Amino acid sequence: MLGLGADRLWADMNRLLAFLFHQGVLDEQFLQLQQLQDESSPNFVSEVVNIYFHESEKLLRNLRSLLMDRELLDYKKMGIHVNQLMGSSSSIGANRVRNVCVAFRAATDQNNRAGCLRALEMLEHEYCYLKNKLHELFQIEQERALAAGVRYPLQN
Amino acid sequence: MAALQRVTQSSMTTCVSNYGTCKGGGGAAIEKAVPDQFPAGLRVLVVDDDIMTLKIIEQMSLKCHYRVTTCSEAIVALNLLREKKGCFDVVLSDVYMPDMDGYKLLEHVGLEMDLPVIMMSADGRTSAVMKGIRHGACDYLIKPVREEELRNIWQHVVRKMWNENKEHENSGSVEDNDRNKQGNDDTEYASSVIDAAEVVKVPKKRISSKEDDDGELENEDPSTSKKPRVVWSVELHQQFVSAVNQLGLDKAVPKRILELMNVPGLTRENVASHLQKFRLYLKRISGVAQQQNGIPNTASGSTESRLGGLGRLDIQALAATGQVPPQTLAVLHAELLGRPAMDQTALLQSSIQGPKHSPAEHAVAYCQPQPLVKCPSNIAKNFPQSILTVDDAPSGYGAWPPSDTIGSMGSNGNHGRVSVQNNNMLMDVLQHQQRQQFQQTPQHKLQQQSLMHDQSRSINVQPSCLVAPSQTSGTFQVNGPASVNQNSSLTRNALTDYSLFASQSSHPSLNIAQFPGEDTKAKGVLCGYVAPGSISHSVSANNSNTQQLHKSSLAFGAVRAWPTLSPTVSDIQVPYGVSKSGDPIDQVHVRNLGFVGQGSSIPSRFAAHEIESPVSDLSQGKIPLDSNGNSVKQEPSMDFMDNSKVGAPILQRYPSDPMNVFTE
Repeated sequence: MLGLGADRLWADMNRLLAFLFHQGVLDEQFLQLQQLQDESSPNFVSEVVNIYFHESEKLLRNLRSLLMDRELLDYKKMGIHVNQLMGSSSSIGANRVRNVCVAFRAATDQNNRAGCLRALEMLEHEYCYLKNKLHELFQIEQERALAAGVRYPLQN
Repeated sequence: MAALQRVTQSSMTTCVSNYGTCKGGGGAAIEKAVPDQFPAGLRVLVVDDDIMTLKIIEQMSLKCHYRVTTCSEAIVALNLLREKKGCFDVVLSDVYMPDMDGYKLLEHVGLEMDLPVIMMSADGRTSAVMKGIRHGACDYLIKPVREEELRNIWQHVVRKMWNENKEHENSGSVEDNDRNKQGNDDTEYASSVIDAAEVVKVPKKRISSKEDDDGELENEDPSTSKKPRVVWSVELHQQFVSAVNQLGLDKAVPKRILELMNVPGLTRENVASHLQKFRLYLKRISGVAQQQNGIPNTASGSTESRLGGLGRLDIQALAATGQVPPQTLAVLHAELLGRPAMDQTALLQSSIQGPKHSPAEHAVAYCQPQPLVKCPSNIAKNFPQSILTVDDAPSGYGAWPPSDTIGSMGSNGNHGRVSVQNNNMLMDVLQHQQRQQFQQTPQHKLQQQSLMHDQSRSINVQPSCLVAPSQTSGTFQVNGPASVNQNSSLTRNALTDYSLFASQSSHPSLNIAQFPGEDTKAKGVLCGYVAPGSISHSVSANNSNTQQLHKSSLAFGAVRAWPTLSPTVSDIQVPYGVSKSGDPIDQVHVRNLGFVGQGSSIPSRFAAHEIESPVSDLSQGKIPLDSNGNSVKQEPSMDFMDNSKVGAPILQRYPSDPMNVFTE
């Protein structure tokens, strides 16, 4: 039964992944990330993604505070933040976040405050969605690993 | 490239096994059998303020079997690079970093250590990429960085060396050889046309490059010279260019340029050396076309004329300017800015000459006298280590000293600039002749070998300390001059032959002879090839020396040599490891100790720009950085010292085959 559970969880995981890919939330860079995970770093993906969330939350906070500044908007600084977020997002394959970042950066280039605000909102939305989905994914993965781990001793 | 290819292919596997054995011999055998392809062990420094990216790239690099060092602050990275000069082959840097702009880092790296720097950013807009290139980035990766891209970054290390060789051709004969080798190596990348072009070019550039080197030595190499370094920032360079344009390239003389630029602290010498470089770049741009148009049939005659032309104002360069679109020029300028370090290193030779040198009309040469006294002391320091640990070490050094560089240099210094030119000329001729020989008998490798031996022997007869260029040329001249075209096409063959030689390296005479006989340029090539046959120490020493003199070219030779050398290499490594304590800096290295032999040795070759690197590699990074730096600086002087002392021991070692060493 446990073995079956693991298999089912594996299938769930793949389904979810396929779904995210289909939606364009993730791209193949995420697969690259998964391929980098091996015995020497069994939790590589989740570690990286956690760092990503940690860092990008900071960036999003900064962006919002920058945009809320009524006096003068430091578009350049925003651009740098957005660029960083774009870099890290693309590095984990967060495709949709990255795409919003592109729009965001364009808005900062044009000193377009409304555009920046809109983009920031989209960004936050996409970010939350990604975070939820990835957490879901990792949860399944954890369960699966547990199930698979339990099965071994039984067989042996 | 041939060598590299070999390495990557079958020979690499053998290398790995060798390395493994080496380590075992060292005592601590760490066997983590890593497939040994050339790029494995490449020492990469990754700089990014984004920890996640760092982590990803680190993991990717590990997958590529690179030795990664990550750094989240540009300033820290820069300090690391300065401290551990020669401990990295390539730098991957983010563009936007809070503490220091990636471009700034790029500039510093380009000026101070002349490492290939690859920029990476999510910002893939043309303007951003252009900016990176203008600042001297050798590549610009758009995030996300993919493993495939990372797997391929070693090409920049190779290419950089290759380019350096081109630039330095003038200064060192070694470069020519290296270049040829490189050209072969580069077959993959560069079309044969390029190779040919470069081969042709070499003779032209020599003189000018030497001068440049002299000028730049002061600026760039803090150790050698105490003069204030002039950083040719983009802005400064722009001023320079506009001044030159204002004057007209043919009428632009350093003094007038200086007046026009009106920059406080800038000396005529600074401007002169930069002007030389600038002209070289222009030349390079137009080089291909020139080659196509008229290639000198005989190396010697054409070389002379060209050299003379270079010495004054370059008509060719002018023509080139007309041909070249302003954008390209800008890029080239950027390159100039980025690369000065290379020239400077290459100039080390020139610097040695410098003291005696009377300032030439060109003014390019202000020689930065390297205190001879200094060198001996350095040498003493260096030597003890090697000697203690390895018996072979002395021999290796000895091998190195024989190199003609010293001798030629001395002569140059005495005679002044003209003599230098002659030397260069001779060197070129020699090289050409050698090439010709190889070319002529490409099919008969055995014959070639015999030839090589003869040459080497004849060379050997000459005292290692000072070899008169004229004499060498005489011996070599036996071979008829080959046409340029032949040379270029042949280059590959020659290279292959060399590698073969290396494998056969069992002949001691070859190694020794080659060094002395051939002038600087020859050295580079010879060193690389010879090294395999010769003791590992000698190889390393040679590399380092050459590297100092000619950064890039030597490295190549070494690399090529490696595959075949591996057995010998192992010996070297062991001693070094014993003698020296591990480097604090590279933790990664420590991890890799298992395959240190491979990684370290090969990467070091690439690192070759700096002498230190080879040593450090051999030692598996255990040698303290400081010592490395010293050794590097000292090297030129070392030749003299070592030659006298070491000369004899070398022969003894050679007799033994690499295999013997191994078994031992």
